[in-house]
Amino acid sequence: MGSIVLVVRLVLADVRRHKVQVAILLLAVTVATATMALGVSLRGASDTLYEQTRAATAGPDVVALSGDRGPAVTSALAALANDPDVVAHHGPYRIVYADLTTRDSTSSPVVVHGFAETPGAVNRPLVTSGQWVRPGGMVLERGFATALGVGVGDHVTIASRSYPVVGIAVTAATSIYPWAAQIGPGGGPSDYSGLAWMTRSDARTLASSHDLPVTLAMDLKLRDPAATEAFREGHRVSIIRINFHSWQFTAVQDMVILRDSQPILVVGSWLLSFLASTGVTALAVGRAAEQTRRAGLLKAVGAAPGLIATVLLTEYLALALVGDALGLVIARLTVPAIASPTASRIGDAAGLTGATVATATVLAVAVAVLSTLRPTLRAMRTATVTAQSATAYQPRHRPWLTALSALLPTPLLLGVRLTARRPGRVVLQACSTATIVIAIVALLIRFAQPERGYGLDGSAALPNLRGEHDRQLMLAVAILLIALALVNTITLTWTTAIEARPSMAIARTLGATPGQISAGLSTAQLLSSLPGAILGIPLGLGLFSIFALGNWTVPPFSWLLGAALATLLATAALTALPARLAARQPVAQALSAETA
Amino acid sequence: MNVSSAAVQACGLVKTHGQGQSRVHAVDEVDLEVPQGQMLAVMGPSGCGKSTLLHLLGGLERPTDGEVWVAGRRIDTLSERALARMRRRSVGFVFQAFHLVEELSAAENVELPALLAGRSRRQARRRASLLLDRVGLAARARHLPSQLSGGQRQRVAIARALVNDPLVVLADEPTGNLDTAATLEVLRIFEELRSAGQTFVIVTHDERVAATADRLVSMRDGMFVDDTRLAGSHPRGLGGLIGLEG
Repeated sequence: MGSIVLVVRLVLADVRRHKVQVAILLLAVTVATATMALGVSLRGASDTLYEQTRAATAGPDVVALSGDRGPAVTSALAALANDPDVVAHHGPYRIVYADLTTRDSTSSPVVVHGFAETPGAVNRPLVTSGQWVRPGGMVLERGFATALGVGVGDHVTIASRSYPVVGIAVTAATSIYPWAAQIGPGGGPSDYSGLAWMTRSDARTLASSHDLPVTLAMDLKLRDPAATEAFREGHRVSIIRINFHSWQFTAVQDMVILRDSQPILVVGSWLLSFLASTGVTALAVGRAAEQTRRAGLLKAVGAAPGLIATVLLTEYLALALVGDALGLVIARLTVPAIASPTASRIGDAAGLTGATVATATVLAVAVAVLSTLRPTLRAMRTATVTAQSATAYQPRHRPWLTALSALLPTPLLLGVRLTARRPGRVVLQACSTATIVIAIVALLIRFAQPERGYGLDGSAALPNLRGEHDRQLMLAVAILLIALALVNTITLTWTTAIEARPSMAIARTLGATPGQISAGLSTAQLLSSLPGAILGIPLGLGLFSIFALGNWTVPPFSWLLGAALATLLATAALTALPARLAARQPVAQALSAETA
Repeated sequence: MNVSSAAVQACGLVKTHGQGQSRVHAVDEVDLEVPQGQMLAVMGPSGCGKSTLLHLLGGLERPTDGEVWVAGRRIDTLSERALARMRRRSVGFVFQAFHLVEELSAAENVELPALLAGRSRRQARRRASLLLDRVGLAARARHLPSQLSGGQRQRVAIARALVNDPLVVLADEPTGNLDTAATLEVLRIFEELRSAGQTFVIVTHDERVAATADRLVSMRDGMFVDDTRLAGSHPRGLGGLIGLEG
């Protein structure tokens, strides 16, 4: 008990003394775990929303669709109602293919379902505002209405006739907007379409007055809702061609809009975790000498290696777990918005599963342990007396680099020599920069892709929601990546400056100006960033090609080069402040600290 | 103030640390003039303000009040940039803790101020080689500081201090970390340099070191309490004077 109290007190004392480092660690772990949890949860969240909509709308287990029409088709569909596996049905009903235009001239393909004024036992669309269909009035599917910007009371035009929108509703019988047309006219392929409901007579009138294409559908409730595949197999042989869309198929179709979201979030979370690790490593390495002295002090007063390891690791582990918890909360709060980019589904996305929580927690613990294990082991293994007087890492002598740098102007000379002091830190900085460039390259590629809008004939009057959703997600992930990488850059510059403070103080006594020192520190970070900026371009292209589905267009090379140059410029600007602050520290004070 | 012949001058120099009741006068109303070619020793107990005085004279710290002149130019009003340039040309530092750059060889350490002063690599190397030879370390030019003894490190630091031909060398406890033999080596070099006309201000608490100077100033609580002219180089030799001979 005494040991636990001691560990807690030591950890709390250290946390109070290093508030900025604590904030950086929390930020890094939080964004990494939040993104990972979001990526892992998307599929489950989408399924949950579908299931909730299905329950609320008495969604059918199977929708039987025929591309043809006529008495034979109608009787073939009606015969399905007598199947012993079918316990309830709705239909057959007409599906009319038309174009819809709003008052502000936005046009879109629409499929109009002809429904009874009083919905039956199966497929009862849930009216979320207004009322259900009545003669002369139509109801729009909520996802479609949201995309059109149309509400109850507005008028829309279909086949030259104006209809008042009397209600907005959702259904689980079709896929989310814009995949409402499950089958095209004549059983062919369908275009992006919205869904609307009219009374049966209005739908019949609409179809006949303009000779619009019509198909037929019937909603079925099975005795065993899970046995949809067996039902389909049992009705494969038929004179009339009938397509069966199971509720499982529709649930999977809902994920189409999220097809690219999952890779964006999961790959993004890998990159964020990587950045979190580099950031925490930079912090841990920057404090290695201090932690070793602390360990020496604890050893001197009788602490066993186990206790020392516990003290050193507990802080990072505890903070990582707090960051993990924060990340999971953020993921839980944002998953409904991300899992449902259209308004076609209702309900609340389910809470995070145990597997998701476990995955995110493993990630957070891995970031903390992998980043701090080496300094902890060093502190544990260093002899007590040596540990008490531990100094910062002693760089290696690199004669060729020293000779080469002697030919350069002073800021470059200092920059090259500072870079050579810590090759590991160069790698961390290069990795951070590469991650920024990867994120920007991926973003540029995403924005460079041609896209078919959801409007009539692919018009962009109705934006491509999937593309928009992917762009927004990628932008959010890129912003997080860039923010974390920038924090890392500032941290690395500051730790470099702190570690090089004695050398820089000596240089100042020898005549280096603060401006030269500051420029040297910035140059060191720029030199470290350069390989990352160069490698980031092919890595970004490679990563996109691995996870992208289908063909994609490479943006102009000038864009990619501009991204790398902008990253380097931003790095230079960011390092300027910490470098300037470090260069202005009193020389005498730095020399005295070194002597002490 | 007549500044023409003095290498270093201070007038009414004050340096305080802290504020209010915890305010401490590290240097308190000090007047000092060090003519060119003079070796001045500043003695006093630990914490009396010796090192602070040296930092003020070299422009490493700014005085709270008073003036500092180096080579006829007032430096306490200069910008950090101008101070750095002044140090390149006019001041060489030697520290008790040597303050060598650990990842650079002896020659590279000595070259560094020359490179910072804008000399070419070849010039810097030639000058470093000459000075290392002068302090008896030509054979150790490629050694890292960690491969040198304390005395050798201090000799490297002295060579480094001299590489830009400074007007004055400011030495802060240059033998404080050295054993007797190494102290003798360092003092012999100082003696040679003084004979060649090099100006020195040496802060020390070692009377034997102070005895080699032309002039000895004693400091207590930030103030000068004594200023004595000494004989300088001793006819029996340096070792005899300071009691380091076998």
